[in-house]
Amino acid sequence: MDKPLTVGILGAGTMGTGIATVTARAGHRTILRDLTEAAVQAGVGRVRQFLDKSVELGKMPAEQRDAAAAGLTGTTGLDDLAECDIVVEAVFEDVALKAELFGRLDDICAPTTLFHTNTSTLSVTAIAAGSSRPERVVGTHYCNPAPLMRLVEVARARQTSDEAYHATTEFLAGLGKVTVTTRDTPGFIVNRFLIPFENDCIRALEAGLGTVESIDQAVTRGLGHPMGPFTLLDIVGLEIHRAVSLSLYEQLRDARFAPPPLVEQMVAAGHLGRKTGRGFYTYDEPRMFGT
Amino acid sequence: MTTGPIAVLGFGTMGSGIAQVCAQAGFDVLVLDTGEEELARGRERMAAFLAGAADRGKITETDKAETLARVSTTTDVAALAGADLVIEAAVEDAEVKRTLLAEVAAVVGERAIIATNTSALCVTELAAAVPAPGRVAGLHFFNPAPLMPLVEVVRALQSADGTVQALMEFAGRLGKEPIEVKDRPGFLVNRLLMPYLNHVVQSFDDGLATARDIDVAVELGLGHPLGPLALLDLIGLDVHEHATQSAYEDTRDTRFAPPPLVSRMVAAGRLGRKTNSGFRTPAEEEDR
Ligand SMILES: NC(=O)c1ccc[n+]([C@@H]2O[C@H](COP(=O)([O-])OP(=O)(O)OC[C@H]3O[C@@H](n4cnc5c(N)ncnc54)[C@H](O)[C@@H]3O)[C@@H](O)[C@H]2O)c1
Ligand SMILES: NC(=O)c1ccc[n+]([C@@H]2O[C@H](COP(=O)([O-])OP(=O)(O)OC[C@H]3O[C@@H](n4cnc5c(N)ncnc54)[C@H](O)[C@@H]3O)[C@@H](O)[C@H]2O)c1
Repeated sequence: MDKPLTVGILGAGTMGTGIATVTARAGHRTILRDLTEAAVQAGVGRVRQFLDKSVELGKMPAEQRDAAAAGLTGTTGLDDLAECDIVVEAVFEDVALKAELFGRLDDICAPTTLFHTNTSTLSVTAIAAGSSRPERVVGTHYCNPAPLMRLVEVARARQTSDEAYHATTEFLAGLGKVTVTTRDTPGFIVNRFLIPFENDCIRALEAGLGTVESIDQAVTRGLGHPMGPFTLLDIVGLEIHRAVSLSLYEQLRDARFAPPPLVEQMVAAGHLGRKTGRGFYTYDEPRMFGT
Repeated sequence: MTTGPIAVLGFGTMGSGIAQVCAQAGFDVLVLDTGEEELARGRERMAAFLAGAADRGKITETDKAETLARVSTTTDVAALAGADLVIEAAVEDAEVKRTLLAEVAAVVGERAIIATNTSALCVTELAAAVPAPGRVAGLHFFNPAPLMPLVEVVRALQSADGTVQALMEFAGRLGKEPIEVKDRPGFLVNRLLMPYLNHVVQSFDDGLATARDIDVAVELGLGHPLGPLALLDLIGLDVHEHATQSAYEDTRDTRFAPPPLVSRMVAAGRLGRKTNSGFRTPAEEEDR
């Protein structure tokens, strides 16, 4: 790495802590920000835990872990991000919230700061519009779990400058990520294709073209996907799938993205997947998936 | 189920793979094709595949020799008389298949099961060309047949329960994982695959991202073994056009309709790997 940067992460949830792990591991000074002290401490704890585990598994030398942990701090104050070269936003999926946060950072950060949004389904252009420096805003969509998945989709807002775009892909390469460049369109590449495919599998089930098991088998054994759609949806959670589908549908008005009736029914019945012990499959013990 | 040999009709890509899978499971196989040249080509393809497997230590030289020894060939339909299972893997042409199936049905006994490996034709319609169509069903292997674990057993409207059951068991004896599917366009796997591939092609045509970036995103983001555009190159743009066109005509569902770019690539002779010109072939220069 050329020069350690200072990276601020907004949101210490699933993605924020994953991204903080990635930047801290790469040697960048990392500041993790959430709304409450408890959320911040929990987030910092999860990053540390991941780093410790990496050392335990022999994936990382202890010195690297120590340096990463030493460079990681947490805060509840937005002002503490003043020094940041890059701020990565991973708060709730709410366009107004994201746009407003970048607007507030205008007064706090230097004019050279890059603003990255990790939104999955929202318009990067709309989020950038909240900033008085929209040319510094770039979409960087990490995959979950961020420390393990190499892909980052880079989406240029209409306002994004070439300079900000190039600085972003360079930064991501330095993190060990493989980037692809996509237009700022709902779902980018991965979700644009995954969500209709999953909905189509659900419709095939509704239509009686197969069973939960035979469709999963067709997809894993016939297409070589690592997981069948129903196994995957049970892990993701049906309510999350519904929200993502609806968000994409509302923006694209393309029926392929609309959640099929079965999804609505499963959500209404509380059959959300693994976390409730029942989704497309039933599970002996409900368990949360994640790190 | 079988005591006599298994008859395989057509010694092309799929016929040679299917013959090999059957022979490797210990069955005697008799393959029919239209001429000695076609038969020789099929045997060569099979021998080359087995040689590759032997080189990689997946099978022994003895396995290879024994497998080849179990496969005999003919150009004479009458020679298939003793078969009690027929697997049809001739060209994807409804007229050819109907004629061939009727000829073969007249030669083999009424108790013989007749299976077709068609990907995109209607099994029910093919079965209608055969007297006593209860013995007909689809047995849809994936390419390359020796490597792909899944087999779709396609129940035509006429298929007898016993026929479907026997084919499920037979696929299991081949070491495959059978699933029973309905005779609807694309059966199950291609039913799910076609709209997805069409969506990808249209998005690519609309400028979503480069072909490479689309494939990399899907491979790394979803863990698929092959990105969708590389997969289309492998399937062949002409094969995809035929399959989607026929599914579209059957359903009038626009998600199946081949996107204009596919038709134009076919018109230009850009069929994918086989012509070394497609979405990802010839392999672009790595840009980093
Ligand atoms: N979970 C995934 O698989 C995934 C994958 C890629 C992208 N994303 C996107 O990443 C973003 C975050 O998703 P997540 O799954 O980590 O959500 P999450 O609910 O786990 O975490 C969001 C966090 O943001 C915090 N937050 C809310 N407002 C804040 C503010 N003003 N300042 C700082 N923190 C604030 C919340 O307290 C919470 O801890 C979303 O935009 C989502 O679409 C999620
Ligand atoms: N290639 C694939 O990926 C794939 C996958 C699954 C199913 N299929 C299906 O398998 C079948 C065969 O496809 P393929 O890719 O092997 O085609 P192919 O062109 O490689 O082989 C077809 C063979 O059939 C022979 N043939 C033609 N007319 C014949 C006749 N009257 N009697 C006997 N043999 C005859 C040809 O000479 C040729 O050797 C098609 O129905 C296709 O839809 C193909």
